[in-house]
Amino acid sequence: MKLFEYQAKEVFKNSGIPVPDSRLVHNRSEAAAAVDAVGTPCAVKSQLLMGGRGKAGLIKLAKNKDQALQIAEELFSRPEGVQKLLIEEAVDIEKELYLSITLDPVKAEGLVIACAEGGVEIETLAKERPEAIVRKNFDLTRGLQAYQARAAVYDMGLSGDAAKQAVKILMGLYKAFTTYDAELIEINPLFLTKSGIIKDGPNKEGQLIAGDGKLSIDDNAAHRQQEYSITREHFSSDMEYEAAMDGIPYLQFDGDISLMCAGAGLTTTVYDLINYEGGSVANYLEFGGPNYRRAMRAMELCLQNPSKVILIVTFGTIARADVMAEGVVEAIKKLNPNRPIVTCIRGTNEEDAVKILEGAGLTPIFDTEEAVRTAVKIAKGGAA
Amino acid sequence: MSIFIDEQTRVLIQGITGKEGAYWTKHMQEMGTTIVAGVTPGKEGQQVDGIPVYHSVERATRNHQLDAAMLFVPPRFTKDAVFEALEGGIKKIVTVADGIPVHDAVQIRKAALEAGALVVGGNTSGVISPGKAMMGFFPYWIKRVYTPGRIGVMTRSGSLTNEVTSMVVEAGFGVSTLIGVGGDPVPGTRFAEMLPAYQQDPETDAVVIIGELGGTMEEEVAAALANDSFTKPLVAFLGGRTAPAGKKMGHAGAIVTGGTGSVEDKVAALEKAGASVAARPRQVGQLLRQALEETKKSKGTGEGDERKGAAK
Repeated sequence: MKLFEYQAKEVFKNSGIPVPDSRLVHNRSEAAAAVDAVGTPCAVKSQLLMGGRGKAGLIKLAKNKDQALQIAEELFSRPEGVQKLLIEEAVDIEKELYLSITLDPVKAEGLVIACAEGGVEIETLAKERPEAIVRKNFDLTRGLQAYQARAAVYDMGLSGDAAKQAVKILMGLYKAFTTYDAELIEINPLFLTKSGIIKDGPNKEGQLIAGDGKLSIDDNAAHRQQEYSITREHFSSDMEYEAAMDGIPYLQFDGDISLMCAGAGLTTTVYDLINYEGGSVANYLEFGGPNYRRAMRAMELCLQNPSKVILIVTFGTIARADVMAEGVVEAIKKLNPNRPIVTCIRGTNEEDAVKILEGAGLTPIFDTEEAVRTAVKIAKGGAA
Repeated sequence: MSIFIDEQTRVLIQGITGKEGAYWTKHMQEMGTTIVAGVTPGKEGQQVDGIPVYHSVERATRNHQLDAAMLFVPPRFTKDAVFEALEGGIKKIVTVADGIPVHDAVQIRKAALEAGALVVGGNTSGVISPGKAMMGFFPYWIKRVYTPGRIGVMTRSGSLTNEVTSMVVEAGFGVSTLIGVGGDPVPGTRFAEMLPAYQQDPETDAVVIIGELGGTMEEEVAAALANDSFTKPLVAFLGGRTAPAGKKMGHAGAIVTGGTGSVEDKVAALEKAGASVAARPRQVGQLLRQALEETKKSKGTGEGDERKGAAK
């Protein structure tokens, strides 16, 4: 689960990482009080999970209160569906830096990534100026040691008080990284301010302060991470949210064929095959694994789409073919779908599955590619 | 001799008295696996299908020689169970748990690397050498999918394994050893780490890898081909070629972010290194046949690099 900027900054603040003074607002009237509190100039920032918010005009700088409120009004009415704004004191920026911690799956360690050139996406930077990026591995069981943090900070070219501040920030990031089971924790940009700008801060030298924040929490650690939870705002459609609340992997597209398949690898492959055959996908849905007895709910979700056909492809071991076939037949009886259903259900007890499907008047197909071609033909207006 | 396991490998089952553990213990034995002991804390003295159960791995090692551990343990307890097996001196561990926290997975792999052990999984069906032995769960009774043969298979996906393996068998081949490395972002064992075993295995003529978008495991295989540390024919199938960037499609390990880990990049790396890459599962069988014929031909004429010849 990705956290919103305002949540990531809450975590930063609690981990001893300096963040600009800010207020979270849900409407125009809250915005006025927020601007009064943080002062002007201020930044008005849409709280969305998408990258490139600045370029998309979802983050704007306001010189005075009137302008801030006008921007707030404008952002709340954007087509992206902005629900929350972060109103933040403006920072007088000397330089933009980059700091993050992630995991290295090959060495099986934690990985600090640091760069004196922040503000752009790290992937872009990695391509254009790989030599500018500092990487330091550390053992996750021992934890990040201060000398390792210092090595990263001095290698990125910092010195003096700024280097000391950066080490402290990096140790704070590490603390949050382990506390929150993070896949990634990132400050980009990390601002180095001009002297004397930040209220209450040291004003002889520039101060480091988090300009933006990313924190992605491992979904597999949800049982020990209950502080933040998934909300409607994490999804681009109601359907995706509804399916996620039911524990069913689901993605919304705008094509003709509803996928109801078992297993991530197979579902993704069926998605590819449909595209190869010139068809288009209405939704991606997995009902394998723990969901293999939930054909009814899966079909209900598919039927909420204006798709032209439902394509069911499975090849299960524990997810028995006969159980899935029975579930599909039962769902058809109950939901009485208004569109054709193509079935390709194989795996454990597949002979029984064929009998069950045939008994219900369906024509089971045994080959994935043939099933895909059949579904594409139906979607294009041909007969089954 | 197959790689990883065979009929002689003495296997311990951790979590043997659970529903899944007990069910698949029976099937693993039926397929030929030698299971000598089980562990479930608090259940020592019981038996599962004639297999003695112990409180701990250490207590099991007092009475048995153990070569491998098969874990039927929930994801949140997997790190503990793997560490316990490693401390018991076991060097081959398979965990099928789906949902291991990624910070745990990193520590599991690190501990395995330090112990010189192999941990296969999580989020996998396990390892099978059809007709010999199995650690995990595969529908080995479906002969059109799991026929013994001379093709090695490695996979990141369970559901796709049955699909692709059925195509290998349909093309007239069978499987020597199949290793499911699993669909997690940090698997215990990576594709390239198993290639030396396949290279040396006299019972494997060629290897099929079933990959997908995300991560760098396919690129590591390409590197092993490019530096000639793996010289047998290699056919790859990759799911997610048309997946839109940024959508969380496929396994958690399969998220395309910022242009890295895309199937396009992987296909290019593999083809450049001399592998054959199938766009559809059915092509895997055809490409295998072609690659093996080319190998035979180039061997017959005494030409040097059999693999690179086979890729054309």
